[in-house]
Amino acid sequence: MLSTRLQTYKEELLSKPRQVSIERAVLYTQSYKTTEGEHVLIRRAKAIRHILENHELTLDTQDLIVGNRTKTPRAGVISPEMSPYWILDEIEQFETRDQDKFIFSTKDKEIFKNELYPYWASRSLKDYYQARVSDEVVEATKTRIFAINQTDKGQGHIIPDYEILLKIGFQGMLDKVNKQLEQKPTNHFLQASKITVEASIQYILRNKTFVEQELNSTTDVQRIQELQVMITNLEHIATGVPTNLYEAIQLFWMQCLILQHESNASSISIGRFDQYMLDFYEENEFNAVLLQNLYLKMNTIVFIRSKESAKFFAGFPSGYTMMISGINKAGIDATNPLSYKLLRLHEDIQLPQPNLSVRVSKQSPHDLLMLASEMVRLGNGLPQLFSDEVNIKSFRNRNISLEDANDYGVVGCVELSIPHKMYGLHDIAMFNLLKCLEVSMHQKTYTNYEELKASIKATITTYVNYMVEGSNLCDSCHANVAPTPFLSTFMDGCIDNAKDCSEGGTIYNFSGVQGIGCPNLSDSLYVIKKAVFEEEKLTYEQLMELLDTNYEGNEKMRQTFIHQYDKYGNDNDEVDFLGSELLTYYCEEVAKYKNPRGGYFQPGSYTVSAHIPLGEAVNATPDGRKAKEQLADGGLSPMVSRDVNGPTASLKSVSKLDNYLTSNGSLLNIKFSPSVLENDSGLEKLVAYIKAFNQLDIQHIQFNVQSKQTLIDAQNNPEKHRDLVIRVAGYSAMFTELSKAIQDDIINRSEHTL
Amino acid sequence: MNASIFNIQRYSLHDGGGIRSIVFFKGCPFRCPWCCNPESLSVHPQLMFKKSLCIQCSLANGVCTSAVEDCPTKAKSMIGEHKTIDEIMDVLIRDKVFYETSNGGITLSGGEVLLQQVAALELLSACKKQNLHTAIESTLALDIEQIHAWAKLCDRFLIDLKIMNPQKAKEVLGIDIHKVKENIKQLIHLNAEIIIRIPIVPTYTDSSENITGIISFMHEVGLKEVHLLPYHNLGESKYKSLNLSYSLYDAKPINDKIVEDIRQTFIDANINACIYGN
Repeated sequence: MLSTRLQTYKEELLSKPRQVSIERAVLYTQSYKTTEGEHVLIRRAKAIRHILENHELTLDTQDLIVGNRTKTPRAGVISPEMSPYWILDEIEQFETRDQDKFIFSTKDKEIFKNELYPYWASRSLKDYYQARVSDEVVEATKTRIFAINQTDKGQGHIIPDYEILLKIGFQGMLDKVNKQLEQKPTNHFLQASKITVEASIQYILRNKTFVEQELNSTTDVQRIQELQVMITNLEHIATGVPTNLYEAIQLFWMQCLILQHESNASSISIGRFDQYMLDFYEENEFNAVLLQNLYLKMNTIVFIRSKESAKFFAGFPSGYTMMISGINKAGIDATNPLSYKLLRLHEDIQLPQPNLSVRVSKQSPHDLLMLASEMVRLGNGLPQLFSDEVNIKSFRNRNISLEDANDYGVVGCVELSIPHKMYGLHDIAMFNLLKCLEVSMHQKTYTNYEELKASIKATITTYVNYMVEGSNLCDSCHANVAPTPFLSTFMDGCIDNAKDCSEGGTIYNFSGVQGIGCPNLSDSLYVIKKAVFEEEKLTYEQLMELLDTNYEGNEKMRQTFIHQYDKYGNDNDEVDFLGSELLTYYCEEVAKYKNPRGGYFQPGSYTVSAHIPLGEAVNATPDGRKAKEQLADGGLSPMVSRDVNGPTASLKSVSKLDNYLTSNGSLLNIKFSPSVLENDSGLEKLVAYIKAFNQLDIQHIQFNVQSKQTLIDAQNNPEKHRDLVIRVAGYSAMFTELSKAIQDDIINRSEHTL
Repeated sequence: MNASIFNIQRYSLHDGGGIRSIVFFKGCPFRCPWCCNPESLSVHPQLMFKKSLCIQCSLANGVCTSAVEDCPTKAKSMIGEHKTIDEIMDVLIRDKVFYETSNGGITLSGGEVLLQQVAALELLSACKKQNLHTAIESTLALDIEQIHAWAKLCDRFLIDLKIMNPQKAKEVLGIDIHKVKENIKQLIHLNAEIIIRIPIVPTYTDSSENITGIISFMHEVGLKEVHLLPYHNLGESKYKSLNLSYSLYDAKPINDKIVEDIRQTFIDANINACIYGN
């Protein structure tokens, strides 16, 4: 249960309109104007310092944890230094667009147009990218064969080291940096790092002064006591080491905020919170309130995206992804009382953040799986589950040490990462496998299946090459335009190597690119293989005619393709292995390439909400999908309503993919009707299903448990369902804040009943 | 050996424990008015037409001219097919991992499984070779030819008790209740695990007299567990699709309170009772 004050806090969060905030952009720009000619690392560090020294502080009267990102909660912080262009193009549409609406005040719009835009046009990261990108990459991006993701926003997608700060404090970090600086006094990264760490200490003290002012204007006796504790805590943690959970959470939250002020990026994720916070945790009522308060604070930060980007990542996920349980570095189950508490708290909060994730292993306690299932039954799609057995194997296959692989976490949605050791560019690109089929099919008239398959592989090879080119360019843009010295300070190796993580300073350096559309590819290839090449029901030309005319006037044939030919998701080996072979091919192609930081590319397979925009770019396909219709959701989930043999068959189909190859992460949505999970016996069966998922070596699974009726009612009467949280893809979002297209997608996903 | 079946349903949650696959045998000599699987009654394959799936692609004078195999949406389909034991096992084995994690397994249902005893025993035997837990769902109202084999190969018997009054059972269902009772006693003698299942159907099976009759029989033979299956009219549309008449068209789904009261009556009589199965 939430206390009345936190309930009030939660309601305020959801009821206040979301604003566009230009505060960070204004401060950042002020600083940049004064640092022309200096090294980019120093300029970035000074800009962060300027923000920390000047952004407006607030403290909600209900709040026990000090520190705010923006003046009003859930504001969208724009970053014209990454790209001012989309903001200008869409400046009048923030309030009315389909997805992720924000209010942009007239005054701020004027400041943007007159002061921010003119400065950043020509100077932004986007400019750096555009000046260098090749025609081929531009063309392929336009046709949505692939999408390069972080060309206009911060990189994020990383788990920095929270544990070290809890252990040695900011003073300890400063000592580390100073020691290295003695060796390398002219090193820009170390200089920048020092500026940000010193600024962090001052920022905490500034917050303390702010709370002292609050104290002077407060008359409520209880609040006065609370504020006094906050002041003491802030004073202590500015340089010192926390001694209890309250101080630890306060320090942790300050670190989270500074990371956000620096990058303004999605998915600077939390990692294994139940492991590094355990030393501070004891079970009592006050600690529960603190953790609830922290959960709520994580929901005060949302991430504003362009219209196009919001199609791919709808519902402004901020990616406070928290990993719970799993084995430890030594391979022993590390579930602890805090793991249970963190899970149980979701029942009180029921909001999208933190994006709770549970690691499942052969050693997982039954009680933990029961509790996870109980939370799943609440219907918010949390927690999502990850299989230790396959994910550790995936990382071993990428030459990550066993100890580090055992310690894996997750960033953003489902991207697997090694906490404070991996700058994985986990979300750098998405690759449309189904579009490759379309491109190949138009190249010639094929006479047999093998010939077609070879051609698709060649297409994949061609475009993977271009995707790598685009990703690597984007990678170097971030190093050259938007390095992150504060974040890097908390990544292993960066201080020792005296290098920012964007330059390859940390231990593991990957680039993660997702192959999507595999389910539709399986389904389409099976129809071609059977109907055209084996049964000769129609000729290749006739099939092309059907597709080119979008099945116009031939609904009978379309229905035949849908119903008379088995589909991926029904545990039919022949169908399942068709797509599997090509996904494996994609994975192997990707893994051949290196990035500028000395690391390799690694494949993943998840769509977030990209199955909708990437589907818009694909013509009619032989699986009966019409032009522009969405692709299969999730990444590995069967195409909507094509899996008719129930959820065990779906899992079996997914298990036939080479799941250990998609080491960047993959995603599977399963939808159950609420009746399946009634009473303890229902929960036991979900636990059994989860254990089977783990034995089948599938990386990830998540559940939506809302009746179709509820969702349709929420779509029609949003005001009645303002707090309905639903799984989108690797993250949850407020259902009524999603566009109709994504709402429809979620409503239509196959629901498994009895 | 072939079995005449009309469906293999994976991921069944209330039919014998854990996650199970159910093999539905086709053909039943009895005629319960509330039957929700009318396609199970005839031993022979039957044409089924689901109007809601029809896209009217081959209409001539309002009549569908499409051959069954050409119907694009499977609105027209044949129900029932003869499958070899191997073919059935190929499907059943696919969910082995789920049976193992859930203490589930295979359930043979119908129709009436006992109409195809040789095939059913062969299938149970094949399941046992794969170390799968087995159950059958039956009225037990036919002569059992190899009762020792049944007791050995089947781990759990889900036995329907519907109407206990011998005369009514005969008239309404065509069931000889004495035979059912005898078979149950013999299986108990062979140490079989038996769970009684009772469809709770308004006016047919929900009278206190009928419930009392079941309780006293269970006490007599020492049975301790019952599953109550509240009547639903989900089968109604299937009757239409098969062009059959349905005598319970007007019946409403049974009231939850009545079912709960009956459950309590069993509990009070020291019999474990749950609604649906577990």
